[in-house]
Amino acid sequence: MQCAKMLLRKIVRSSVLPFAAQHGMKKDLFPLSRTLSLSLCLKQDKSCEPSEKLDLDEWKKVMKSGLQEEVTETVSEPKELSGLAAARETLEMWRLAGKAVPENISEEQLKTFMECPSKSAKKKYLRYLHVKELHKKSEKRKMAEKRERRLEAQDQASNTDETKKSSFICLWSSTMDKAYNWRAAQSMIFGQPLVFDMSYEKEMTLREVTNTVRQIVMSESCNRRSVDPFHIHFCNFKDDSLYHREFIKQYREAWGKLLITVTDQCYTEIFPKEKLIYLTADSPKVMKTFDHDKIYIVGSMVDKSIKTGVSLARAKRLGLETAALPLEKYLLWSAGAKNLTLDQMMHILLTLKDTADWKKALEFVPKRKYCGFVNKPVQELKKTLDLINTFKLGKGREGAEKQFAKNHPKK
Amino acid sequence: LQPPEKPLQAEEWNKLREDFQLPQIFEEVMLNSMIRCNSPIDVAKSLLTHVAKRNGDIAYNVLVKYLTLCVQQGQVSEICDVYDIMKVRFKILESGAYNLLVKGLSNSDQWRMALTLLEEIKKIMIPSRTCYESCIKAASRHQEMKVAFELYKEMLAKDVVPTLEVLQSFFNFSRGMKDAELQKELFGILLYLRENQIYPHKTFMRSIKLWFESIPGGNWKGRMTKIEDSGQCPVCKHQLEDSNLTEEEYSNLSERIIRDVIHGTDTFRKTSPKEFEAFQTFVENRLPFDIVIDGLNVSHIKSRKMQCQNLFDAVNSLAKDNARLLVLGRKHMLMNSSNWKKEIMKEMQNKADFFFAENISEDDAFLLYATLRSGKHCRFVTRDFLRDHKACLSDSLTRHLFRKWQRGHQIIFSSVFSQQPAFRYDCVVQTTGDTWHIPYKDVFEEKYSYQVPRKWLCIQQKL
Repeated sequence: MQCAKMLLRKIVRSSVLPFAAQHGMKKDLFPLSRTLSLSLCLKQDKSCEPSEKLDLDEWKKVMKSGLQEEVTETVSEPKELSGLAAARETLEMWRLAGKAVPENISEEQLKTFMECPSKSAKKKYLRYLHVKELHKKSEKRKMAEKRERRLEAQDQASNTDETKKSSFICLWSSTMDKAYNWRAAQSMIFGQPLVFDMSYEKEMTLREVTNTVRQIVMSESCNRRSVDPFHIHFCNFKDDSLYHREFIKQYREAWGKLLITVTDQCYTEIFPKEKLIYLTADSPKVMKTFDHDKIYIVGSMVDKSIKTGVSLARAKRLGLETAALPLEKYLLWSAGAKNLTLDQMMHILLTLKDTADWKKALEFVPKRKYCGFVNKPVQELKKTLDLINTFKLGKGREGAEKQFAKNHPKK
Repeated sequence: LQPPEKPLQAEEWNKLREDFQLPQIFEEVMLNSMIRCNSPIDVAKSLLTHVAKRNGDIAYNVLVKYLTLCVQQGQVSEICDVYDIMKVRFKILESGAYNLLVKGLSNSDQWRMALTLLEEIKKIMIPSRTCYESCIKAASRHQEMKVAFELYKEMLAKDVVPTLEVLQSFFNFSRGMKDAELQKELFGILLYLRENQIYPHKTFMRSIKLWFESIPGGNWKGRMTKIEDSGQCPVCKHQLEDSNLTEEEYSNLSERIIRDVIHGTDTFRKTSPKEFEAFQTFVENRLPFDIVIDGLNVSHIKSRKMQCQNLFDAVNSLAKDNARLLVLGRKHMLMNSSNWKKEIMKEMQNKADFFFAENISEDDAFLLYATLRSGKHCRFVTRDFLRDHKACLSDSLTRHLFRKWQRGHQIIFSSVFSQQPAFRYDCVVQTTGDTWHIPYKDVFEEKYSYQVPRKWLCIQQKL
């Protein structure tokens, strides 16, 4: 890597320098001739071809002029590239060609890149790294700006030199943390259990596992901050699994101090079966109310490839009751899959637990997925929608029905 | 951004550049519009000269853009020059530039250079299919059929799927050649079409026809025709291959359906082991069936009619000739409701066997299993294209088998309640040695995977 960069730098330098020298030499002669040619042009008719004096292939000379020294350099360079170096070289060329490729790439990422099974997988992975890099850069820039602003503000504050007196003690975040932790600790004794089923590792790619863990981290933090937190259980959790490794990456040393229960046991071994309800979007049963005596299970899975029925299958196998959120009943669904992220689920469940208000809870469903809340009975709304459609299409009712049957050949 | 018509001086370029909103990408945008307008390359050259003078260097992406323009206009010497510059300037190139170079050179008298370039690409990456396409076409255009076929085989070995154009070019450029080896290779391409169930389009079909007819002393004669429903070719009276699978294919397919579609990664996803076992014993006790019906699918044929009435009509029309019927449904059909009347259900159960799966189970998987277990004569009724089940099969060979079997065994009721019969003959390229039958598409692209062409090319050798 270092060596390749050095080489590149050298090439750039070596191709610039001779040109500059050349240019410098000409400089003395050039201005004169230019003014001459210009004045000539002005005197003569406009149709005079200024291109006649243009050496169209001059760019080739410039490109080649830097090459002489460089050739001698590359000769000493070993011709055959090893796998990793070749991959790095290809990436560099793609970057030069203006493709979505990260500027810096680590050895590990390069290996992942090479292990991608297809060209499109490689492209996707590079794009992902590229976007990640862009985010990181803009974040850094923002941080720097913020720091500057803060320094400025401090300067101003020191100028005015005003001492504030307040009767309140300033609550620092560590104090808040203590309060939150106290609540979480209480929930571990008295709280309602909420289970995250950690048995989907095999169904997911590495990136999906990373996303899952990130979502769980967000869920855990919003649970901790709530008035009445759940007692979170990670069930079927295997030590040294991908989940585990990702959690350690996210939490670092805080992982050991989390106020949650982590176990390799299945929920069916810890809780009575009849109390368990598996939450899954595929469930035929729709949840009506939040039950404070039940133990809800959420599958810790991100499925970007929409694997239907995976968690339903798990519940079926264990003979558990299942439930889906009543999204259709309360929301006019417009687009997107009905499966929600884990932190959205957590927000919804917490709100339900505290308020039992579906409308309030379902505010956490992303706005892009629905048009609005249902305020009339669904049946009536559908009728009006149908009517509008029939008028719009200018077809009889029969036509609309046929269309419907075509789109839904099977219920 | 309109490119200028004549080469410009540095000052003029500078002025244009300063007037542009984003001077950093001025060259790129300008070259792009030159490519779009197919501007004379002298204009592009003057821009490059200006850039080179200003920066002492020209960025790679700008060079590639210029190369695109040269390739577009077939400026071979320029292409060679750019390649020379790139070669010394960069250790390797990326696929975009390679594709352009190969394409540009293969269309010129320098086509052999394209071949050497291809060798170079191979050292770094797997060449793209367009690279191979250009080289193969160049080689066959210059009657180097051996080289062309070598490249073609290499392509297949690397899992690079050849374009139809490549295949067509083989037929176009082998016309009139008397070479047994070559003939064998071209027959091999036809068999490749057969194995992968690819249908040539009309112009490709013409190339095939013309090639056959041009073989010296071959006495081949090609005619366009349509095959009768019985599977007989009206031209040569030859009976086409029937749509049945061989014993081995058949058992292979049944096995794979059970393994991949019904069980998959988890039996619980589509059914449950208990339910599947119950279904298996149910089927084994009543084998064999003649027709298996997807009850729920059929019940939706006419949306204005009661669902069970639809099913009843279908069962009645199929129950002729003592055919043994199996109707698959779900348990909710047994609950007396506005759509499912108990009396009608009872009456139907006298005429056909019924199996009711759990409401959350997938009955399609059962449909496939019951039909396959009943044997080759058994057919099934559904309007579903079964694409999701085909997708569960893990390799393309089995998927092809599935499509073939589906074509031969699926009965589709349209809403007017007329049956579309299953195909009796197999719709693939086929041969008997002295005849070839090749199905072809009228249009360039086939829109639906379930549609098969109805037009055929019949080629016959008169001895």
